[in-house]
Amino acid sequence: MFDAFPYDEWSEDIAEFWTFGGGGSTGTWILTVLGFAAMLVAFWGFVILENRKLTHQASRLKASGALDRPGTTSGPTA
Amino acid sequence: MTASMLFWIAQATPEELADQISLDSAILAETFYFWTVVIMWLIHVGFMAYEGGASRRKNVMSTAMKNILTIAVVTPSFYYVGWYIYGCFQQGWPKDGHASTDGFCGLSAPWSSAMGPNLQDHITGVFFLAFLLFSWTTGSIMSGAVIERIRLSAYLILTAILGSGVWIMDAAWGWSSDGWLVTGFGFHDAIASGVVHGVAGLFAFGVLLNLGPRIGKYAADGAARSFRGHNTHLTLMGLLLIFTGFYGFYAACLVIQSTVFPGWLNIYLSPTTLGAIAWVITIGFAGGFTGGWFASKGDPFWTLSGGLAGVIAVSAGADVYHPSLAYLLAISGGMVAVWSGHFIERKLRVDDAVGAVAVHGVCGFYGVLLVGIFAGGYPTGVNQIESSFGGQLMGIMAFLPLAFLPGYVVSWVLKKFNLLRVPPEVELEGLDMAEFQQDFYPEFERVPEIVIEPDGREVDGAPVLLDAYWQATTNGRAGTPVGTGEERS
Repeated sequence: MFDAFPYDEWSEDIAEFWTFGGGGSTGTWILTVLGFAAMLVAFWGFVILENRKLTHQASRLKASGALDRPGTTSGPTA
Repeated sequence: MTASMLFWIAQATPEELADQISLDSAILAETFYFWTVVIMWLIHVGFMAYEGGASRRKNVMSTAMKNILTIAVVTPSFYYVGWYIYGCFQQGWPKDGHASTDGFCGLSAPWSSAMGPNLQDHITGVFFLAFLLFSWTTGSIMSGAVIERIRLSAYLILTAILGSGVWIMDAAWGWSSDGWLVTGFGFHDAIASGVVHGVAGLFAFGVLLNLGPRIGKYAADGAARSFRGHNTHLTLMGLLLIFTGFYGFYAACLVIQSTVFPGWLNIYLSPTTLGAIAWVITIGFAGGFTGGWFASKGDPFWTLSGGLAGVIAVSAGADVYHPSLAYLLAISGGMVAVWSGHFIERKLRVDDAVGAVAVHGVCGFYGVLLVGIFAGGYPTGVNQIESSFGGQLMGIMAFLPLAFLPGYVVSWVLKKFNLLRVPPEVELEGLDMAEFQQDFYPEFERVPEIVIEPDGREVDGAPVLLDAYWQATTNGRAGTPVGTGEERS
């Protein structure tokens, strides 16, 4: 518009660089699949890691005897 | 620079000027949505503060972490799935086939040219982002209801389903210009009373039925106890942050098109103005606070929640309501929230820690119905189908199963696999020790936990909670939600 730089031509080149290929290209498909897989793995990780922590803590509390008899112990820590 | 621009304008052809105006308009829209998103972040900050303050000290970080990790799971799931649902399911099932290269459906697929850097597309990125913030909001609405006993991972699974599946499907149906509820029935929910708040609240209700109340929430006779949140100031500040963010939410619900009179459209592409909705949101807060105050007899928590409920009740018709009408309806919304909140807690015995089902769920659908009564006949959408009570009812009937069933069924499955609720021992001690192995107020002395009995007495919480814990564990059902009455059967 101001004829300062040939943006129209330039944009075609950098679009290829930015997206590893335009819409619907093999590169974009691969990135989509990898990203989706990473998301699913993260969900699995959230479940497994938390379950491990909760199971460990529940076992430790039971073993400590802190919850053995109602009304006579110090009860919850907070 | 100014001189060169004036020189260029003087030399430009009408076609060049039209192109320039078109580009300026696109950049204005891009900038507008970007800043609405910035303001809407405050909703998320507010929900975190609100829920963190409402939780007991032993659960503060596990509560806040839900809000933080909402961003971690809803953002990618909405990018890969949610936006595609919005683009392709507006007429129910995609008529042109999934990922058709033509039209919005194809452009909403994550591999399309619109879903990444694209110098020819100023709008998709920021428009997607605005919808994403709505998705976070639906997750945050559920988040508060389930605090202090849900597993973080279970919440994350549920919030991804709600934020990237359930709400965006109902938005495709009833919150888009091509949605079948809009084009067929004139369904009108301009600022998302039902499609965001109502649906998220009802989804949360389905989850709560499987999750059960917190240990000790209900006495042996079924009367509800209260747990004192560890920081009321934080809760109230969080609500005010939510209110601030709501201005961004309201603004983002409009479509800006500065080259066409009047420059603004609602989500159905019917004309409106930013000023019209600014009247309604502001006076809606005023009415909601008033209604909440009187219905709760001055309770601070319900007064502020009433403000939120008031706005939610008038949001569906915010583009057409007169401010005085909005004021009156918002007062009623604030009252409805208090009354329904008490009913849910005391009669249904559902432990909604922050009243989300009442404020968002009940008042969201209440707001949808109000449009049918007070804005009936208004021509909605490009087909100009008149809004009506029947059309609004049709929308609610479509949304009820869409919202409730996924929440109930998925949480039921998680419960069957023992992945929904933390072990009762962990709940008694506090989730933060199990999840993070630390207390998050190390410089403050610990004081005994206080429980407020149904008759208003403040008592030492430890014996009460241990007794409730033992009622379940001595029956050999440690995983049974304690205090529901179920363990006494």
